[in-house]
Amino acid sequence: MTQYRVTGRGRVDQGTPVKFSFDGKTITGCKGDTLASALLANGQHLMGRSFKYHRPRGVVTAGSEEPNALVGVTRGKGRFEPNTRATMQEVYPGLKVESQNKWPTLAFDLGAINDRLYMLFSAGFYYKTFMWPRSFWDSVYEPFIRKAAGLGKAPTEVDPDTYASRYLHCDVLVVGSGPSGLAAAMTAGRAGADVVIVDENSEMGGTLLSEPQAQIDGIPAWEWLAGAVSELDALPNVRRMTRTTAIGYYHQNMIGMVERITDHLATLPEDAPRERMWRVRAREVVLAQGAIERPLVFDGNDVPGVMMSGAAQTFLNRFGVLVGKTPAVLTSHDSAWHTAFDMAEAGAKVAAIVDTREIVDIGLQDRAKELGIPVKLGHTATATKGRLRIKGVRVNPVRAGSAGSGHWVFCDALLTCGGWTPTLHLFSHTKGALDWDADARVYLPGRKSEAVQIAGAGRGLWGIGAALDDGAKAGTDALKTLGKSASVPSYEVQKDRIGTGVFHKELPTDRSPGKAKAFVDFQNDVTAKDLRLAVREGMKSIEHVKRYTTNGMATDQGKLSNMNGLTIAADALGKEPPQVGLTTFRPPYTPTTFGAFCGYHKGAQFEVTRRTPIDSWAEENGAVYEPVALWRRAWYFPKAGEGMHKAVARECKSTRESLGIFDASTLGKIEVSGPDATEFMNRMYTNPWTKLGVGRARYGLLLGEDGFIRDDGVIGRMRDDLFHVTTTTGGAARVLNMMEDYLQTEWPDLKVWLTSTTEEWATIALNGPNARKLLAPFVEGCDMSNEAFPHMSVRECTVAGFPSRLFRISFTGELGFEINVPARHGRALWEKLWEAGKQYDICPYGTETMHVLRAEKGFIIVGQDTDGTVTPQDAGIGWAIGKMKPDFVGKRSLDRPDIVAPNRKQLVGLLTEDPKAVLVEGAQIVDDPNQPKPMKMIGHVTSSYWSETLGRSVAMAVIEGGHDKMDQTIFVPQADGAPIKAKIGTTMFYDPKGERLLVE
Amino acid sequence: MTAHVSNLGDVTLAVVPPVARFNLRIAPGDLKAASKAFGLDLPAKVGQGAHEGDRSAWCLGPDEWLLHAPEAEQGTIVDAFAAIREKVAHSLVVISDREVAYGLSGPRATELLTTGCPIDLGRIKVGNAKRTVFDYAQVVLIRDAEDEWRLEVWRSFAPHVEALLTTAQRELASGL
Repeated sequence: MTQYRVTGRGRVDQGTPVKFSFDGKTITGCKGDTLASALLANGQHLMGRSFKYHRPRGVVTAGSEEPNALVGVTRGKGRFEPNTRATMQEVYPGLKVESQNKWPTLAFDLGAINDRLYMLFSAGFYYKTFMWPRSFWDSVYEPFIRKAAGLGKAPTEVDPDTYASRYLHCDVLVVGSGPSGLAAAMTAGRAGADVVIVDENSEMGGTLLSEPQAQIDGIPAWEWLAGAVSELDALPNVRRMTRTTAIGYYHQNMIGMVERITDHLATLPEDAPRERMWRVRAREVVLAQGAIERPLVFDGNDVPGVMMSGAAQTFLNRFGVLVGKTPAVLTSHDSAWHTAFDMAEAGAKVAAIVDTREIVDIGLQDRAKELGIPVKLGHTATATKGRLRIKGVRVNPVRAGSAGSGHWVFCDALLTCGGWTPTLHLFSHTKGALDWDADARVYLPGRKSEAVQIAGAGRGLWGIGAALDDGAKAGTDALKTLGKSASVPSYEVQKDRIGTGVFHKELPTDRSPGKAKAFVDFQNDVTAKDLRLAVREGMKSIEHVKRYTTNGMATDQGKLSNMNGLTIAADALGKEPPQVGLTTFRPPYTPTTFGAFCGYHKGAQFEVTRRTPIDSWAEENGAVYEPVALWRRAWYFPKAGEGMHKAVARECKSTRESLGIFDASTLGKIEVSGPDATEFMNRMYTNPWTKLGVGRARYGLLLGEDGFIRDDGVIGRMRDDLFHVTTTTGGAARVLNMMEDYLQTEWPDLKVWLTSTTEEWATIALNGPNARKLLAPFVEGCDMSNEAFPHMSVRECTVAGFPSRLFRISFTGELGFEINVPARHGRALWEKLWEAGKQYDICPYGTETMHVLRAEKGFIIVGQDTDGTVTPQDAGIGWAIGKMKPDFVGKRSLDRPDIVAPNRKQLVGLLTEDPKAVLVEGAQIVDDPNQPKPMKMIGHVTSSYWSETLGRSVAMAVIEGGHDKMDQTIFVPQADGAPIKAKIGTTMFYDPKGERLLVE
Repeated sequence: MTAHVSNLGDVTLAVVPPVARFNLRIAPGDLKAASKAFGLDLPAKVGQGAHEGDRSAWCLGPDEWLLHAPEAEQGTIVDAFAAIREKVAHSLVVISDREVAYGLSGPRATELLTTGCPIDLGRIKVGNAKRTVFDYAQVVLIRDAEDEWRLEVWRSFAPHVEALLTTAQRELASGL
């Protein structure tokens, strides 16, 4: 048995020892211990170092609010986690723990030099200490701050664990499983509601786990608890979840919860996720989160061994650990008296109970006397002794607010209680109002914005009996709104510890308050003095005080420090706390892993990767991919030894000279169908559609209401009342949404319907002088001659026996066809064409070659040559506007003064003087490279490539008044070297007459 | 798409053989004509399904239906609707290849779907269907029996959804 373990106490399995390591030393705990309780059982209070001063720190709480006892935990490669709270980590055989923020050792840390220099690190020190000289910032101050900043070490290896996600719906979600939570869950569960009850601890019970003396309806608390748990487990409509933290309360009763699944297991089962994020939609929520004990603020209140009295009670009653053998108690609340009594009964020699109040319940005083505990009422604490562990506390009587002379009380632990703060973090997430109770001096839940009940200590009630009754009522209230009813059970509790207390600002002292290290935020090393300094320096709102001092910005999010900070700041300002404000609590309630948020989105599932039906062929044939919207598209197909430049040059050449094959399946496709289809198309697109014959196709241009180009694509008329619309790859969803938006909100009278068929069809583009020769033998039901099937036509026919929509169109300037077949046949058709195409040296090409070939023809790519500020006239495609049409989306904007103004940026072609110079896309263009800087930029390059076909570079650019600047010279300044000279011209670099489309 | 099957975590996951699949858009007032053309009384309420022989229909939106029939009948159905097009305005689009369908069955099939599906699956009655999302993908969920679902998803999203479903299957099998 370890030194501080009490035989027969606690809920841990004292018969099952668990060995783990702490800073390389083997420590023995018991099954059921947390890391904190196991270390305390071995007399180890020192567990960490603070953030700023590197002061030695011990555990102060027994729960998730712990600010000090943060450690690094590792269980093999990639499984290191910094800042694990020792109070939450359960021990298992082989657990490896290291303390952090120390060098070289926890007990002797050189960083603690900061502590000696504390006068330098006062509130706002970032803004003051490191200001001058200015030149020191980059070389001295910033490296120093960066080195000193942060808690623990960030992991550097890839996390091999999986993280899971679940959605869950229920009638009533109960957060917290103390007496009020259990009563609420039982009331709602018995009435047949679908109930979920969660608790962040490894077992349910909350306060009941720490107060076994209570009797509920004549049954001892733990026996009652076991009964309650088995009753809940027996109800099929109740789900009980432990090790699960409700981290955030979002709109419409959506609660985020993180379940810790494997962190307490010695061996990891295969495929088990480490954590699971639950997204719960509850019709009613009951918040039964209890209250958090508030520290007292006095000089030396952060020495290891100073801890919350409630924590000591929990360590004793739940874990069977005495946190000290000669503890002293310092309190302003009755609850700490019971801790003293429990410890005395368990064999500790309590050095004293020091209460700040002059009047305390006589029953408590009598009990102290029975147990032989010295009592000091109306006292303050003014100093502590000990550095790595408390040795004594200096206490002074207080008369009329000022401290008299002090004397030392020697102790090995100091258990403090400054009252209890209702836990309202989740309620605060809902933006529900927090009302200041001026009598109780706490914030309580006020106006609610969600379907939520708050029960028990969370709304300021005290005692197990009150919590049980309030929980039962909350359960009934929740049922009522669900249309169910239940009678409210009532509970009879004996040996309940009903108590009361007061709250303080920092305790009075007889010493210089300016020298006192009276900590408010333990982790961030914020003292009462810092807060007062912040107020003196002009901070009036608690939000400013918080940011100036960093009070409440630690990983506990101010659970221990916020109210003390507010009380002191309000006192310094001479105002009531609500006039100074309360900082906002934000999710998550406790520190949460990134893994839990990412869930399944890692590796190949980090994001959706859409693949075409032909993608697998491209992969087998060595394609290099590029992402386009959510798709991955074959970028180019390098042969052995080829880089992108060579591969693309070869692909371009093969296509122009003979035959290229391209996977165009990602193009968006929309079926526009119905008697008003033509009218709809006339209104959406700039082009006229009425006279487009069935079986013909046309380039369609889509504008926004502002007149700027949004999308384009070839559109085929399949029937009088049916159009096959194609869109850009990235624009597919956007265009369909825009069309639906107009249809549903502007023109609901039109009888026309839109259906996405992007994925119904696999689309293969064949381009090159031999395209028809390859394709024709496969086609049935379509006369392939130039006359019968001219450029810009579409037919329904079969290709290689597959039903097909066959377009004769070209985005390359060569004779071209696009074959649409049902998606499942895409790869089969591709392979047939590939085999047969070998006689023409068929060449698969990717998106890069497609871009080059279209640029040689001056075809724009929406989003590359346009940027959302380009009109059809700017782009040189004003011919696509149906001049006779009464209206279309964007038409009116095309007459706006700034749209028709001269000197707009217009799309032109650029040929560099040096044919080998390839401009950089995005490069700025100037008239005169010798003008003084900053130069006037008149435009920029939008597309630029090496053209193998032309044996030179080609580029497109938008240039102010460009259409009127034909043959003028411009310059493209370079980051290094002379500006590149180029001449403005047409964008049609290749085959301007379009003769290659007509090859027989 | 290979017709693979995996049986793990009390769930059998399989690619369902292809069917003739249509997206029907029509004014609710004209539903009778459409019912006649399809040979099945189309359900009028969003979410509802109707089944007769080997044809099924589910109402997915105020004017939208998903139709299923045996593959061989695709042409016949297209013709039947073409015959009424002059008189009754509608849009019938073949989407047989747009979607890939997965079948999920077994005592934990519904639980498996909750790994990516935010809606309350308990409220989808047997025989009915809902258009919703699974993770980042739009899907249609069809409930064939208490423990039997079909998930239809656009073809290019299928590998993503399938990978997540099999990950979740392994997770269920882990017992944690």
